[in-house]
Amino acid sequence: MLATLADGPENFDVLVSNSGLEPDQVRRSISWLSSKGLIAVTETTSAKLVASGQPAELVFIEKLQDMGGEASVAFLRNAVGEDRGFSAAMGRAISAGWVEIKEGMMGQIVILKDKEAGKFLQDLMASVKRGVDESKIPESQRSTIADLVKRGMVTRTETKTVNVSITGDGKLALTSAVDVAPDRLTAEVLASVRSTGSDVKLRAIDVTAKAPAFYPGRRHPVKELIAEVREVYLSMGFAEVTGDAIQPALWNFDALFTPQDHPARELQDTFYLKDQADKSITRTAVVAKIAAAHEFGGDTGSKGWRYNWNVEEARRLVLRTHNTAVTIQATRDSKDKETRVFSVARVYRNESLDYKHLAELHQMEGIVIGEGLNLRHLMGILTKFYAKLGMSGVKLWPSYFPYTEPSMQVMVYYDKVGKWLEMGGSGIFRPEVTWPLGVKKPVLAWGCGLDRLLMLRMGLEDIRELYNNDLSWLRERQEIAGP
Amino acid sequence: MTGLPRKLILERLPYLGLDIEGTDDESVRIEYNPNRPDFSTDYGIARALRGLVGKERGLKEYKAYAGRLQVHVDKSVAKVRPFIACAVARGLKLDEETVRQLISMQEDLHNGLGRRRRKVAIGLHNLDSITPPVYYGTKDPGFAFVPLGSDEHMSLKDILEKTETGVAYAKILAGFEDYPMLTDSKGVVLSFPPIINGQATKVDAKTKNVFVDVTSTDARLGKEALAIVCAALADAGGKLENVTINARKGKETTPQLAPAKVLFDQKVAESLTGLTLTKKDAKAYLQRSRLDLDSKGFVTIPCYRVDLIHPVDLAEEIAIGYGLDKFTPMYPASPEPGQLDPATSSLERMCETMAEAGFNETMGYDLLDEPTLYGKFVRTTWSKLEVENPRSMEHSLLRDSLLPSLMAVLSRNTKNTYPQMVFEAGRVFQKESDGPKEFFMLAALSAHTAASFTEAKSHLAALVKRHFGAELETRAASHWAFSEGRCALATVGEIELGHLGEITPQALAGFGVDVPVCGFELRVPKKKKPEKPA
Repeated sequence: MLATLADGPENFDVLVSNSGLEPDQVRRSISWLSSKGLIAVTETTSAKLVASGQPAELVFIEKLQDMGGEASVAFLRNAVGEDRGFSAAMGRAISAGWVEIKEGMMGQIVILKDKEAGKFLQDLMASVKRGVDESKIPESQRSTIADLVKRGMVTRTETKTVNVSITGDGKLALTSAVDVAPDRLTAEVLASVRSTGSDVKLRAIDVTAKAPAFYPGRRHPVKELIAEVREVYLSMGFAEVTGDAIQPALWNFDALFTPQDHPARELQDTFYLKDQADKSITRTAVVAKIAAAHEFGGDTGSKGWRYNWNVEEARRLVLRTHNTAVTIQATRDSKDKETRVFSVARVYRNESLDYKHLAELHQMEGIVIGEGLNLRHLMGILTKFYAKLGMSGVKLWPSYFPYTEPSMQVMVYYDKVGKWLEMGGSGIFRPEVTWPLGVKKPVLAWGCGLDRLLMLRMGLEDIRELYNNDLSWLRERQEIAGP
Repeated sequence: MTGLPRKLILERLPYLGLDIEGTDDESVRIEYNPNRPDFSTDYGIARALRGLVGKERGLKEYKAYAGRLQVHVDKSVAKVRPFIACAVARGLKLDEETVRQLISMQEDLHNGLGRRRRKVAIGLHNLDSITPPVYYGTKDPGFAFVPLGSDEHMSLKDILEKTETGVAYAKILAGFEDYPMLTDSKGVVLSFPPIINGQATKVDAKTKNVFVDVTSTDARLGKEALAIVCAALADAGGKLENVTINARKGKETTPQLAPAKVLFDQKVAESLTGLTLTKKDAKAYLQRSRLDLDSKGFVTIPCYRVDLIHPVDLAEEIAIGYGLDKFTPMYPASPEPGQLDPATSSLERMCETMAEAGFNETMGYDLLDEPTLYGKFVRTTWSKLEVENPRSMEHSLLRDSLLPSLMAVLSRNTKNTYPQMVFEAGRVFQKESDGPKEFFMLAALSAHTAASFTEAKSHLAALVKRHFGAELETRAASHWAFSEGRCALATVGEIELGHLGEITPQALAGFGVDVPVCGFELRVPKKKKPEKPA
């Protein structure tokens, strides 16, 4: 750039186009060179004027002249147009001495007095018609122009130009440099280094300037937390199970001893699939036992719910409302052997979305089947599991689920936020649940929501943010690895 | 009510299984579980709390004295709402708060135990405005009376069609010609079960004597609800009296408040809790839950505890009486090492590769709306999988492809910098003749001024090479998401993986995306289990 300026001063736009550099790069060079005193930077402002309207008083005079220099006010008002500033125009014409008003028989009459009326203004408008540089306007016209700009009849556009010229020191720097330091390495420069054996120094750049943002590819935070949770279960000896999102009500509700007239089964909380049912479900084998458990407790010694169980209800297909629909089938598959399984999955609730409710969310759930397991073991598992997720304390209170007894609500102390929080539930499966599946060993179970934990980790206020898929959020969000 | 300090109450309430929602100077807002309808009033909670802290232990018995009030049941109710159980409570000193509690209890019982009134409906009446005996029969829809909260006569038909309560519960009476009616000997209407009471017998803070009616389609539930109401009325200072129900099959005296007796299963209690229990321990813990254990080993259960149906329920009472905070946890070591699901892990590895390639992972909803799934792509054929009565039409159809979700992401992010490269590994659903099917797909879209088919193919080929160890093959094909002539079927050997191409201009316009978009969508093939060596 210094070399270009040696031939004479240039403005900014020329420097950009000549150098082939980005405007930002040129700006940085200018600021660096200026700070070193090698160039002088001046800013000039120029303005351009161009006609953008026809002053109404010229129209007024024109119409009057068409009428031979005499016309009624009413006629002129019509010809010029009240909405186009007729009254102001007439006022101007009068105070400029171009016309005089006489009383006529049918109202006021306007008479042209000055033969040169409006000529000055007309000439001026003509001169700025195609646009003219402000500096070229003669002194005599300046006040009129200013007035016309104010009235919007002439538009004034200002442009600032940055002019750069080389200083004496700059000239000195140019001449003392043997070669102009290159900006980047090209094949030719590298070839010359190979041939001459001497190094090449690159032109210093402003290393403090901002670089363009770069976003590496990235996993979704929900998936990252799911990965962490899977590792926790794995480390505790659990095997992962998966299952379909669509389940018959049999597994989502009936096998979990939720009576068929229970409010939770109603449309408002559950997504039922339209016109879809699993017709293969019949009141035989396991299903018959589930029905018996509901009606009179089956062989469990329970009173049951004491109503008439209906197979049609159990056939209806739903989007699973909880992960237990999957783990209960794993319980059946265990065939009463020692088992530890877990599932992290999406569940669905027919709810309106708001800052703390979603219609689709993720839950994690684990079950442990083993001889002699009891409430104390469940408490032990909960304590260890949540500790691995960063919760140093676990408090348990009695709760209720149709499929567990005893049932406990889990409160955890989350170190990161320094608060006690609700974190899901737990319990031991009721005999009405295990007997139909042929399981005699105790089944410990616990589960909680994953999205809420993620919200706490990330300090979010609105749960919907997790699934908005806003790219700037996805790109720039904080790391969430580790409790 | 309990005579306990506020701090202790707040600290102990959760140990009854109650959720504290919020507190202010005057009150605590709690949520209770549906298995304990006896917690629907302060009286029930106070009764339980006194037991838990040891202030009052063992059974709180309720007794009804002999009463003269008769209820005559007409056979016409047999099909529509056959059962009725009633009680009287005298000498009540009610105030605004108590009345509010009683009404709140009534509504909670209606919704929970009463299964939204279908099974049980409860009416509370000012006994002094009733001239016995009481008649439970039916009336035709044209019959009129002044319903609660009104000052005009309304016909039963109008009540069902024009009032809020009527409209809400009309379906319970659908298909019946005549409707249940509770009246007295002068024809005063007590109530129109299960819809609404009569204004004439309204209960307010000045009422001294109350008549309770519980009509039901399930006699047992009706009696359980009556017991809970009676316990609350007795706790509010009322003296309970029996009512004789004269039905075609015979006479019955209600309420039935005698406690039940169930043999205590010590083995179940010990194996479930992990506690070693002596008879003395068991009795002490049960007493804290307001139950009792007699010398013969029977647990006595009060009339308002309708949730104890199996020995495990009693085991829980033992645990609660012992105090959940007093248990020492024990961690059982796992006999086997853990294991991750191979299919899930495999899909996760593919996602890692996509992130390594510079793509941002997104997570879309499985339930979407019609314009996103169908309209904006101008799809001509599609088999919808719908859900019933969605709360929002935006979440009403199960997606059969991830491409609409990804296009919706691009649509929402037009203000963010390009290039935008997004992918999702998610579940899709398809309607087939033998029922809905679901499986996982992996889809990716790349949006920027130079996006083209070639880019999509390069990315897909790299993914396929890494994860299937094979070369990608493509042949021209049609797909609703991709432009004709810029679309291919991707195969690996004989397996058809999915499609790739350039998103149609119409879809780009529909989604408001102003740059070209290329991408692919694959169905994740199930990994074959390695064969066991022979």
